[in-house]
Amino acid sequence: MKVGVLSFAHVHAAGYARLLRDMPGVELLTSDPDAVAAPPGEVRGQAFAEQLGVDHVPTYQALFDWGPDAVIVASENSRHRALVELAAKHGVDVLCEKPLATTVEDGEAMVAACREAGVRLGVAYPVRFSPAYTALREAVRSGGTGRVLTVAGANNGGLPAGARAWFVDPELAGGGAMMDHTVHIADLLDELFAGARAVEVYAQSNNLMYEGEVEVDTAGLVTVRYDNGAVATIDCSWSHPDHHPTWGGLELQLVGEKATVEMDAFGQVVSGFDERNRSGVLLPWGTDLDGSMVRTFLYGAADGGVQVADGEAGLRSLRVALAGYESARQGRPVPLD
Amino acid sequence: MPELAVGLIGAGGIARAHLPAWLELGARVTVFTHDDSGARLAAEHADGRVRVARTMEELLEGSEAVDVCTPTHTHREVALAALRAGRHVACEKPLALTPGDVEEMIGEADRAGVLLFPAHVVRYFPEYAAMADAVARGAVGRPAVLRFTRTGTYPVWSPWFADPTLSGGILVDQMIHDFDFARLLAGDVVRVHAHVRGHQEAPAPAGCVAAATAVLTHASGAISHVHGVWGLPDAQFRTTFRVAGRDGVLQHDSAQTKAFRVISQGGRADGEGIPATNLTESPFLTELREFASAVTGGPAPRVTARDGLEAVRIAVAAAESARTGVSVETGAPGAHPGGAPGPQARNESQEVAR
Repeated sequence: MKVGVLSFAHVHAAGYARLLRDMPGVELLTSDPDAVAAPPGEVRGQAFAEQLGVDHVPTYQALFDWGPDAVIVASENSRHRALVELAAKHGVDVLCEKPLATTVEDGEAMVAACREAGVRLGVAYPVRFSPAYTALREAVRSGGTGRVLTVAGANNGGLPAGARAWFVDPELAGGGAMMDHTVHIADLLDELFAGARAVEVYAQSNNLMYEGEVEVDTAGLVTVRYDNGAVATIDCSWSHPDHHPTWGGLELQLVGEKATVEMDAFGQVVSGFDERNRSGVLLPWGTDLDGSMVRTFLYGAADGGVQVADGEAGLRSLRVALAGYESARQGRPVPLD
Repeated sequence: MPELAVGLIGAGGIARAHLPAWLELGARVTVFTHDDSGARLAAEHADGRVRVARTMEELLEGSEAVDVCTPTHTHREVALAALRAGRHVACEKPLALTPGDVEEMIGEADRAGVLLFPAHVVRYFPEYAAMADAVARGAVGRPAVLRFTRTGTYPVWSPWFADPTLSGGILVDQMIHDFDFARLLAGDVVRVHAHVRGHQEAPAPAGCVAAATAVLTHASGAISHVHGVWGLPDAQFRTTFRVAGRDGVLQHDSAQTKAFRVISQGGRADGEGIPATNLTESPFLTELREFASAVTGGPAPRVTARDGLEAVRIAVAAAESARTGVSVETGAPGAHPGGAPGPQARNESQEVAR
């Protein structure tokens, strides 16, 4: 199977490239033509491909001329649309980095383009593939938790601007922490509630931590009400210290009428301390979520297994984040259409 | 500390948590209740150290300070009677069910020149006190985003808890602890949004659950999430917090800090197993010592009646938001929060701060 990676703008691009490089039966080609416009100090394009030990071509057209079976889009958020539409035009299945887009208009156009071209559009929500999520989903769907009352979730990370400056560019990223981190848990709940829909969003945000350093929101709390009666509050803040040994994490507690359960998507770690480097050590040993997601996108889900988020799901979680911004502007809850 | 004459009003769960603290402090305790529960509580102390008052007047007559441990809906009336009699008052949280009632109580305390102390015991939990002290010293920089959770069993032991008209419901009765703490750390709260789910009326059948989520916006711009659960009968009492700012993060999960753990003990009957042991001083003892000290000439307690008022204001706004579905502006002054918390207490968490 021939798989392309389009753009190295996103920090996850390197992970996808390594994963595909090492995946048996997969041929990989990458292209990062916008590398020339990248900020100084960010290794991109041919140089980055060489570091990763993967093949690179200078134009997207050259990559599509190679005849890929599927591509992964890892550009800046606002540039997803052009690349997804390019994949659709070439009749190639496309897995798009999250969030799907930065506007509903772009997201709808991407979904329509892929539908019309008859290609699959997936959105990269790897936490769906966490065994902890699978267990939570089973607990809820089997009736073990009873009716879901509340969910308290947190998806925290450090300010991602260090590796890629566009993450804090309001235009390219479409926002800050609320755009970056609301959507993972919003997607999990969209998948978990299978058919129940978010109907109202209330959000508050601030930039107290990075005032004067970046222009976007860096802390946010987003409350989502669902038409099954459940209500979830998501802490989407980039409130994890820069030098902390972990990048952050994703945890949630779900309170049901019959049981309360919790998941920690990145809790499977051996922890310790390295005396020579005088720093904490954390050795993750859990499932490779990106690997599970990409394999599922390329080869399909196991029976009853979790599917990769499709374009419609990506659009729904994007709407939650965008409604969060609208609510924060207005200072009151806003309905989702 | 000179021996203090304390009038304990009420003989329920919280009175039973306060009474051992008063005895430890060497107070002369007189208890009063409208039924015979006060006499029964006193009778449990065969050494005669706990006397019983037959009337409220008799209780006030023999007390220098009064400890109001009655159901929330009676706080105002009971506390006003004690304040009008010129007695210092420690009053269980919430001080009352509305900000107006609390303002009336504060006015009466001011007129009488006595102390009205809101018994926000979480201020005296050592993990919370340690965190508040560090935050006040700048450990995380300016707090930007805060989270608090609190889980206990649904309070089915006394019927009034489940009735929101009597207790205020979970947002007012339970989550007020964390509303108070969020305000202590990040300052006054200007906007609140909340939802409540689950069982919210009396009677509360065994096995029912209520849960609520609230988002606070502070005048500083900081934001706080508070999640409260009145859970199933097997729910372990558990609290967590996470306070983050530019310069760091402080977090706690009471489930991760048990310093003494029973790993297995077979299928022993209730009450026959190895007992859970407090490894540090009861927060109630720390709390009431600070109150007793204040009313006998010592320094003012770390938590003030105004703190109690603002906590009620936030909690009532949260309950209003949950009822109406809109966010609620509290009308609180945009002033900076109170001063740094007092000296740290050293005691063990217990299932008391519901």
